[in-house]
Amino acid sequence: MARVPSELRRDDEVVAEFNSATTSRSWYRNLLIVAAVLFAVVSVGFVGTILWSSLPMWLHHAGTLLWGKGWNAPVGPFGGLAMITGTVETSLIALLIAIVIGLGTSIAIVFVIPRRLRNVVATLVELLAAVPSIVYGLWGLLVIAPWMQNTVNPWLNSWPFATTIFGNPGQEFGTSLLLASVVLGIMILPTFVAISREVLAVVPQDLVEASLSLGATRWQVIREVVIPTSKVGLLGATFLSLARATGETVAVALVAGGVANAQFHLLYPGTSIAAWIATQFGESQSTEIPALMALGVLLMLLNFGLSLLSRSLVNRQRRLLALV
Amino acid sequence: MSDLTNLVGPLEVGHEMRGEIRRIANNTRARRQFISRVMMVLSLVALSVAAVPLVLLIIVLLRNGIPTLNAAFFTQLPQTPTLVTPNIVGGVSNAIVGSLALNLYASILAIPLGILVGVYLAENETKFATSLRVVAQTMAGAPSILMGLFAFSFLVHDLNLGFTALAGSFALAVLMLPVIVISTEIAVRSVPHTLREAGLALGAKPHKISLKVVLPSALTGIVTGAILAVSRAVGETAPVLLVIGGGFLNEWRPLNPVSALPLTIYENAKSEWPAQRAQVWGVALVLVAFVFVLSLSARIWASRKQQVK
Repeated sequence: MARVPSELRRDDEVVAEFNSATTSRSWYRNLLIVAAVLFAVVSVGFVGTILWSSLPMWLHHAGTLLWGKGWNAPVGPFGGLAMITGTVETSLIALLIAIVIGLGTSIAIVFVIPRRLRNVVATLVELLAAVPSIVYGLWGLLVIAPWMQNTVNPWLNSWPFATTIFGNPGQEFGTSLLLASVVLGIMILPTFVAISREVLAVVPQDLVEASLSLGATRWQVIREVVIPTSKVGLLGATFLSLARATGETVAVALVAGGVANAQFHLLYPGTSIAAWIATQFGESQSTEIPALMALGVLLMLLNFGLSLLSRSLVNRQRRLLALV
Repeated sequence: MSDLTNLVGPLEVGHEMRGEIRRIANNTRARRQFISRVMMVLSLVALSVAAVPLVLLIIVLLRNGIPTLNAAFFTQLPQTPTLVTPNIVGGVSNAIVGSLALNLYASILAIPLGILVGVYLAENETKFATSLRVVAQTMAGAPSILMGLFAFSFLVHDLNLGFTALAGSFALAVLMLPVIVISTEIAVRSVPHTLREAGLALGAKPHKISLKVVLPSALTGIVTGAILAVSRAVGETAPVLLVIGGGFLNEWRPLNPVSALPLTIYENAKSEWPAQRAQVWGVALVLVAFVFVLSLSARIWASRKQQVK
């Protein structure tokens, strides 16, 4: 029987037209619209409520919040510099760890290990992502922090010039910005691997086979063909992992030390925006809440910006590959 | 012909150097293959380094967690150790009851709404639907502490309800909602168009097709998404930390303060009593086991159903 593909392809439009023409009065369609509007209201409420509660802070003390150093709990001033630098430091180091290990892992999963093992390894990586962040925090606090304190800190400080980067707390602190960065790195690794693996796997097989047939080795194919073809998508994976790292809360709250101290030495305790909100909120009074909400607004801007950027990059990658 | 002679000319010059060229070629070939092998081994090293935390974590959880699990752990209320009885910590039944209640209420709030919104997004291409999709994708990656701030300022502060299970469930529901919306939309969109067309050809009304044809075919994907959303919500600490209040009773009523498993970990991890710190590993083990069972069963079920299709 003859099929008319060009006619059939247009059926979704026909269905849509049919839907809107005959069912505008149906209870089911109304229900869907109500649900969608409710979701929109919740989303607007989500952003709006946090913005609104932080308004007093932005109107009167915006400068202090962005550049101020001290956080004097019940009365103020509330300076956010320590949290902002802590967030930037920990998430950038975590990102570095995740990229170095994650890119290698994705390459291994897609190009090196046998096809049969691929799904098993991918599932294991996803399990790593499913572990609740509080468990990573617990592990960092009770297992890695003592080890850092007794073994890693003295060892790092035996290096020449190490104190300029790490500071020299000796065995005073186990919890530190460095520990928080490492734990964060482990936590965002599965995110980076999940996306970069997908990005690498959809590089057209023709390109790979063409360069193999020209005598390129596997590494040359990866370096000269696969990575250049997928670099936009890999950048997207990077930004999404960075967004995850900035938003992690309880793990950082447990292992960073929870001290609002604007300094750059990695072995000293510090905090991040999200962790500071979590640790302060418990005993906060009404004067402090707008300041914490304002920190929340900063976190939201940072996170939404990064995730929109990464989404547009990943979408661009998809369109690029659709053209190949 | 002249082209050919031009071509042949240089070749004859090359003829004298053929041995040299082959030597260089073999040399670079061996070098390239050596580099390639080294890089492949390095990528395997990266893979094993990535696996180390998972293995270590599971070993630590099992070794420290299993000894703390007994009947009292699941059935008794927590007790604060004293100097006379430093090892009596009771159980965590309050946290188990609280976590179950929180996630039950959150599921009731989020799953039906999320499915409806997902179906709406899958069946509409209006500007509103497109922007709602971007909103859902952005919200799905939002830091969970922000859901806690939202629930706090809306329910605890503005509506003045105080610290309640409802506020925690609300925060968790906001967290789950975008995840369910996205997975439902993908599931509904992947239902073949021919099914819809068959329904239309039989003269069924569009909402009948949607309810009786499309939704049943998309059910696997929708349920998988919902289970994954729940498994994410169960382990979340930050949103509930700000609003549920905690407490040492088996409390489950929506308008009372409750406890939760992740909250117990957060609070007892820094306890000065070694027995309480030890018990935290048991709580973490229960939590991780629960999350793994949920997400693995969702995945296995989804892949089984796919194979049947």
